[in-house]
Amino acid sequence: MRLHLTRRTQIASQLLGLALGLCGSGARADVVAVVSSKSAITTLSANQVADIFLGRMSRFPNGALAVPIDLNDGSVERDRFYAKIAGKSPAQIKSYWSKIIFTGRGQPPKTVHDDFDMKKYIAANVGTIGYIEESMVDASVRVLN
Amino acid sequence: MLRTLISCGLIATMSPTAAVAADDPASSMFSIGGFGTFGMVHSNQNKADYTSAPDQAVGAGYTNSWSAAVDSLFGVQLSANLTPKFSAVLQVIAQQNYDDRYWPHVEWANLKYQATPDFSMRIGRTALGVFLVTDSLKVGYANPWVRPPIELYNLVSITSNDGIDASYRLALGDASNTLQVAVGRAEYEYPTPNSTAVVTARSKDQFSFVNSFERGFVTVRTSYGQARVSVAAYDPLFDAFRQFGPQGVGIADKYDADDRMVRFFGLGAGFEPGRWFAMAEWGRVNAHSVLGNKTGWYLSSGYRLGDVTPYGIYARTRTDTSGSDPGLSLVDLPSYLAAPAQALNDGLNASLATSITTQRTMSVGARWDVVRNVDIKLQFDHTSLGADSRGWLTNLQPGFPVGTSVDLTTATIDFVF
Repeated sequence: MRLHLTRRTQIASQLLGLALGLCGSGARADVVAVVSSKSAITTLSANQVADIFLGRMSRFPNGALAVPIDLNDGSVERDRFYAKIAGKSPAQIKSYWSKIIFTGRGQPPKTVHDDFDMKKYIAANVGTIGYIEESMVDASVRVLN
Repeated sequence: MLRTLISCGLIATMSPTAAVAADDPASSMFSIGGFGTFGMVHSNQNKADYTSAPDQAVGAGYTNSWSAAVDSLFGVQLSANLTPKFSAVLQVIAQQNYDDRYWPHVEWANLKYQATPDFSMRIGRTALGVFLVTDSLKVGYANPWVRPPIELYNLVSITSNDGIDASYRLALGDASNTLQVAVGRAEYEYPTPNSTAVVTARSKDQFSFVNSFERGFVTVRTSYGQARVSVAAYDPLFDAFRQFGPQGVGIADKYDADDRMVRFFGLGAGFEPGRWFAMAEWGRVNAHSVLGNKTGWYLSSGYRLGDVTPYGIYARTRTDTSGSDPGLSLVDLPSYLAAPAQALNDGLNASLATSITTQRTMSVGARWDVVRNVDIKLQFDHTSLGADSRGWLTNLQPGFPVGTSVDLTTATIDFVF
């Protein structure tokens, strides 16, 4: 009897853990593309953001030069950002850039160390585009939808 | 990714502007990166060697049933951002050469001038990117397969251009179109089957244009290339034919490989919406000589399941020219010339026979992204050679069954750093 209860408790706690895990990932703040609040850019499609970050486009739709800024290779936000805008895994992104780097056709975006540096840099440099956790957004940057 | 050797930030810490520079995204003057593959291939055909490119001396099958010489290589690339507009790149690769040795060669070495974000010019040795993955041919990590399908990629064995090129990108709404034009020359060395003799191919007046259209996850590439190609190793044979009057001259003019205009056409499309990919490419090379005219194409698709991406490929090469020629008519020749004429005919037909590379291959494989920057791939190929065809095999041995089929098993580890 005791054994039976224990087993049920285990299953229940596993289910609870699973549910919490799911809730956790569901509630996790989204990574959003941002520009400086001083930028003239207000909206960009996911495809346009992807084109800029993958080096396929050098300008915003209004003709202004677009400079993408990345987080360091290996950061969780970076992986989630590329999954969101391009549907690509970290390995696919790495493989994409390997192709371009090792043919001398281009270089990946410059990188900053973390979200804080990213926000600070984007806010201060009109013309750059980056991404941060939605929860970090403040008046210095504008979210692009 | 590319490890910073000397960063501007480092230099800047010595100057009063250090605080500002520290906030800047890492901008490096010199960077070094590299890539490599270690691969083992097994072939069940022990009377010939399977190689992954015509410039390899040995391969899997005859020389070794399991061979590491087919896919293994190591490359290092040094990049320098000299000024915001000028950059230089040097790439050196060590892999099996035409002489079965591994001394490194300079794959690319060029200086780039980025006039605007959309227009650049390069001078030096650059990639001749006529196919979808020609320019990353040797970067296994960048490709979904253990190697690009040789049925198409072997058609153009010259992959570099010593000269200048210009690239212009045009934004068309959601799409972008990049046109790359190159002029220059190249010189390549090839092994001779079952011999240590080296054949040199000189390619001059190279002109190519490659147009890439990209929209979202769709890429379409069209290319055209031409070059005047000379393979001096054929000269003695055709010079001898020319001694036999008009009919000999006619044969030599038809087949010789001296300053011969070779043309290439290519069309490829890639579709990569995220979890799966599909690629199709077609190419034709008209050598108008003993080297033969050939058509190649493949279809490939794969689907990503987490870290594992299984894929399939179907690829074909067809030689569009004949593998034999009646040669000199012996009937009208004086008897003392009949034997030498027959020897020349035999030489011509032996050469023409090797130009027949008709084959088709069905492949299945999987890429597993093990850890960051490293993948492991496993691929099985079943190749059927056309009638009278030796396919792309080399070092044929007596008793090799022409028109046979070959099974390959390949395992590779690819990495980038």
